[in-house]
Amino acid sequence: MKPRSRVARALPYAVLAAAGGYLYYVAAGIEFHQRAGTLGPDVWPKAILTLLILTCLYQIVKLLAFADPGEVAGATERMMSEAARDEPAVMAAATEPHWHLLGGGIAMTVLYVGVIQAVGFFVATVIYLASFIAIGGYRRWSVLAAVSLGGALLLLFFFMKVVYVSLPIGSGPFAQITLLLMQLMGIR
Amino acid sequence: MEALLTQLGAGFVSVFAPANFAALVAGLIVGLLVAVLPGLTLVMGVVLALPFTYTMGITPAIILLTAMYVSGTYAGAWTAILFKVPGEPIDVPMLWDGYTMARKGEAAQALGWTLLSALFGGLVAATAMVLLSQPIARLALTFSTPEYFAILFFGLASVVALGGATLANALISLFIGLLIATVGVDDTYGAHRFTFGVRILSDGIDYLIVMVGAFGLGEIFMRMEQGFKSVPLQSVDAIKTRLPRMSEVLAAKNTFIRGSLLGIVIGIVPGAGATVASFLSYGIEALHGRRKAQMGSGIPEGIIAPQTAATASVGGAMIPLITMGIPGSGATAIILGAFLLHGLQPGPQVFVTSSHIVYSVFASLFVAVIGMCLIGYFAAKVIVRVLDFPEVIVSAYVVMCCILGAFAARNNITDVWLLVVFGVLGYLAERLRFPVPPLVLGVILGPLAEQNFMTTMISFSNDWTVFFTRPVSGPIMVIGVLTLLYPVYRHWRATSRGSR
Repeated sequence: MKPRSRVARALPYAVLAAAGGYLYYVAAGIEFHQRAGTLGPDVWPKAILTLLILTCLYQIVKLLAFADPGEVAGATERMMSEAARDEPAVMAAATEPHWHLLGGGIAMTVLYVGVIQAVGFFVATVIYLASFIAIGGYRRWSVLAAVSLGGALLLLFFFMKVVYVSLPIGSGPFAQITLLLMQLMGIR
Repeated sequence: MEALLTQLGAGFVSVFAPANFAALVAGLIVGLLVAVLPGLTLVMGVVLALPFTYTMGITPAIILLTAMYVSGTYAGAWTAILFKVPGEPIDVPMLWDGYTMARKGEAAQALGWTLLSALFGGLVAATAMVLLSQPIARLALTFSTPEYFAILFFGLASVVALGGATLANALISLFIGLLIATVGVDDTYGAHRFTFGVRILSDGIDYLIVMVGAFGLGEIFMRMEQGFKSVPLQSVDAIKTRLPRMSEVLAAKNTFIRGSLLGIVIGIVPGAGATVASFLSYGIEALHGRRKAQMGSGIPEGIIAPQTAATASVGGAMIPLITMGIPGSGATAIILGAFLLHGLQPGPQVFVTSSHIVYSVFASLFVAVIGMCLIGYFAAKVIVRVLDFPEVIVSAYVVMCCILGAFAARNNITDVWLLVVFGVLGYLAERLRFPVPPLVLGVILGPLAEQNFMTTMISFSNDWTVFFTRPVSGPIMVIGVLTLLYPVYRHWRATSRGSR
């Protein structure tokens, strides 16, 4: 393995070890009234953090110090690796990463959660479903519209009327839309 | 025995009550659909179904989720056999003999063997569940906190050692999960741990949010990165199931029995699930089976071994859940969540306080296994057509179910933000090859493990050796340690052989 690739592989462990170190510092500052002879609430998280940091350090040392560090695999991992050797077409169907799709998906989801209180569940969901499906590459617009609109209505009905979940209705004109739909569907 | 049969009989009567039976049928159909779709795993399916059970009674809710769980181990085999598309990792072994049989023009026979294997494995495991649960619950009543801690330690050790990743990464995932479980106000001292002044974190992070985020949303983000694709379906109209003759079944009886027993045992072990059972059973058949030399060439034993074990693991996994309140797999963790949401804590006492619910669930497993096979026999052709449905639309609805599930838990938008955080974390974990199941089981079992550890320390004057010196906890702890060390030993042996 090239030195650069080894550093890249060690990076996540370094980040985790650093985060673990910071959380250990936080755990050391947990405030409580110590009772004589009993362990405090900081002991358990500190023990876990110690194990986490040690495992990360072990991985970092192994990756940086050895050119070809072997990995101890779990039982399923071993069996899946053997399966991948037997059925490469099925098991290792590696494709080009679609970063734009992933980025768009995450951004849309964050946006959806960010605006749902203001825009209301129905409007936000129709737009979210339609955008998600369109960004995913689906181009039959009539189906797309039906699936987004119908789906949002169905979910609104089910969760508000059947499961009694108080979904966000939005504010201003958006609230008017939601309230009208709720009235039409007999939701109080 | 008579009392047990009476209670089970009452359970069967309860299962056929309209609400319970409707839940069972719905669970079976959704479970079969989820299993067929390659993008949805059975755990994800059960996670997504949970919010729909909030307003149900406890019995139909548990019946629905259990039916989904059991049918999720079956239908993925159809697409593996017919189209070389395993619906779940469980179904990968079906490619070796199941798909090969189909290529030889024996697809109907392969589906017949799958059906019979699921039926046999499921019914044997359901019987074992009924027979073993009461004795195990009685035994569990004698357990104290060191024994419970030892069982939890063993469960966590097995999820790491048996998991689908490297040991170090699985350990790191587990530690992160255990750490997430410490967030909130500590029960003993009332101390705030890792809350960073955020009020909602004082209540802790609900493990359901972590599960839905990491398993559901994380998986969708992963599929987005890979790009949505659809499976071209060929000759769906020709799909039919042909059951084997009795003489053929009798010739393979040992494989049926071996697979079922292995599935039950693997199911009982916390941390190991249907995937491990399926692979291990196939491996054992290939090593010790009557026709071991022909394995992989399209013989029924290559279908029976993984399918009986996978379906039997469901009954096995329900045993520690019901008798000790310890979920051993992702799906049973959600079923535990459903129990708790409805105010019932599974454990040894449940046979005294709520035996009618327990026996209804037991009876429902028998009915579910038979029902899923009937649906499989008559409707496999129809269900397989779901593959024609665009993956992107299914994914969009999965995201919606994740969001609604998280929101409905406490009617709080902060939970949805946490869901997105855990979705991204789940995606990153998958991307960097840190397995998600140990993380989730760490979050679920962490509070139980800490509580039992701390209580033991208080009761035994901080003497940690007590875990190793008591007659029950000692051996369990040692088995747990050996479980963790076995992959290291295996790796060391393989490398030392290689270097020679």
